[in-house]
Amino acid sequence: MGRIVYAAAMSHVLYPDYYGDNVGPHGRRMVEALIAVVREMGATLAAAAPDALVVIADDHLNVFSFDAVPAFCVRVGRSVNRMVQADAIEFDRALDGLPERYPVHEDLANSILEKGMQSGFDFAASWSAPLDHAFLSPVSTLYGNRPVPPLVPVWVNCFVAPQPTAQRCYAVGRHLARVVTEGPWNVAVIATGGLSHFPELSLARIGQSDPVFDRRLVKWMEAADHDALAALTAKELHETGSHELLNWLVLLGAVSPARATVRFFGEMGRVDLAALEWSVT
Amino acid sequence: MSRYETNVVLYRLKKDAAFRERFRTDPMNALADVDLSDEEREAFARWDARRLNELGGMLHLLISIPGLGGH
Repeated sequence: MGRIVYAAAMSHVLYPDYYGDNVGPHGRRMVEALIAVVREMGATLAAAAPDALVVIADDHLNVFSFDAVPAFCVRVGRSVNRMVQADAIEFDRALDGLPERYPVHEDLANSILEKGMQSGFDFAASWSAPLDHAFLSPVSTLYGNRPVPPLVPVWVNCFVAPQPTAQRCYAVGRHLARVVTEGPWNVAVIATGGLSHFPELSLARIGQSDPVFDRRLVKWMEAADHDALAALTAKELHETGSHELLNWLVLLGAVSPARATVRFFGEMGRVDLAALEWSVT
Repeated sequence: MSRYETNVVLYRLKKDAAFRERFRTDPMNALADVDLSDEEREAFARWDARRLNELGGMLHLLISIPGLGGH
């Protein structure tokens, strides 16, 4: 029987220059402190020796286009490329110098997809979507120079309305937990993004976060109050700038009823940074 | 309807370097065949990112167009 051997969630712009340029020295120092914590978490993750690493993250209209925006998309196939952009936006400069290709855990990816279709989760599948900072900034920070295990990237539509509900994301996580239990693999799961930033996706409000809301979310995760988290509405997530919490909700469904331990929480102003681990073993 | 067109233009500006260059050189000409309202067209022409955002232009596109992004 397979099991989840490690679970964590963290902010995904782990790139000091971005915060140095956009927030100043205080932003740079805060993200450097977060990066140091994520590296420590990576040592725990690597020691858990997962057969596969499921990474739940979002697209910023970087990979998908208006051709189609999947609510949930599982990356299948044998390998996945790092996104290469001639004019990378500043978040994605964190990817420069990383490996160009990563293995995909094809059997686990196919199981998530196929068993999803059998049980009411109509995932999109992609054989070619590449990975940007939302996936690789955390993965590369966690693993450093260690070999990265085969990945199963899962995209959640966090930004293009109408997004899937918090409840639905949580249910997808429950599905993921069932697939892991039914399989033979030891699986690690990470979710990325957040905490609050870009409230209402308004350009005029860049620079604002909602620390009161974020503190409440973290308390709920520490207490494993997953009903409260899954009941969050699209309006609450949009107004507070918590769009990427949908990724975390998938993870919460996967690890429930485990409680979270806060490894890092920092109120920067532009965004609240966080890294949490769940006691899954 | 044209909210969709606004975002398609933003997406092309992000991903299509040749279109971006045409837009930089002569925005009105680059957008001549696009179905936009006058207000949207003028916001593009003067590159008023806040106004484009208010008109439905997606934040992540507006901040990630090479040479035009930034905030």
